[in-house]
Amino acid sequence: MNILVSFLLAILSYSLINNVVLVRFYGICSFVGVGNKIKSAFFMGLAVSFVIILATLICYPIYYYVLVPAGIGFLDTLTYILVIASLVQVVGLFIKKYSPSLYRSLGIYLPLITTNCAVLGVVSENTASNLDFLSSLANGIGTSLGFLIVITLFAAIRVRLESASTPKAFKGIPIALIVASIMAMAFMGLGGLGN
Amino acid sequence: MEILYAFLIVGGIGLVLGIALALFAKLFYVKEDSRISDVEKMLPNYNCGSCGYPGCHQMAENLVSGKEKNISKCKPGKKDKNFDPIIEYLSNHPDDDGTLHVPTLK
Repeated sequence: MNILVSFLLAILSYSLINNVVLVRFYGICSFVGVGNKIKSAFFMGLAVSFVIILATLICYPIYYYVLVPAGIGFLDTLTYILVIASLVQVVGLFIKKYSPSLYRSLGIYLPLITTNCAVLGVVSENTASNLDFLSSLANGIGTSLGFLIVITLFAAIRVRLESASTPKAFKGIPIALIVASIMAMAFMGLGGLGN
Repeated sequence: MEILYAFLIVGGIGLVLGIALALFAKLFYVKEDSRISDVEKMLPNYNCGSCGYPGCHQMAENLVSGKEKNISKCKPGKKDKNFDPIIEYLSNHPDDDGTLHVPTLK
């Protein structure tokens, strides 16, 4: 019971208090790039979540049961990128097969999940701070949940902004960045949740 | 010795992932118009994006479907090396319903 509670608390902490986009500043590229339609933003969030959680599950045993015993723990980044890139390929193939329209609307940002630093960030953070398997999993789930929540909220705000009368100089990306900064301030308010 | 381990283990992981990917590619295979890959081969394949599409594959898709009429949007392409063969190819290979989408040079 105690483990379950701390597991859920860790997920809450990683998703809301240490939010991946707004507090740790990972994964801004797809956040700004795809976050202009709710549907594509939501599915982008799902795709990134899938990659993060699976990458966490696969990279943990590879690091602790293959790389460390062989004394080549220094090759961790290379191995993680290998795993992440293959996972992204699988997600890409899957989406191309089952939803070509989604494949087109995600466009170049889909293969770019490979270089989304949120994914590599979670995986290498797990091994760098010597988290055990359950905490790593909590980090993966929490981070992807946080990404999903924030990118969907951000897209919803940006859809509203399209019809708002924004000054010409702020149209498009500039006002989106301001929105992101205000959201970051709002999320800082959740910092007290842990106490 | 450690270097040999590194080589073997990372190579082995790469091999396993590569085989898994090949299997997934078979499993999720999508049948595509064979003209798209033919046209893509005739483009310069720099994937520079100066045509306005993310890469040569998307440019080829739009050329084949006739959505893109102006082939000289491809900046690194040469007339005799890339454009003329594509125009000739597309004037000999119509759609399933028989319409030809031949791009033009501007």
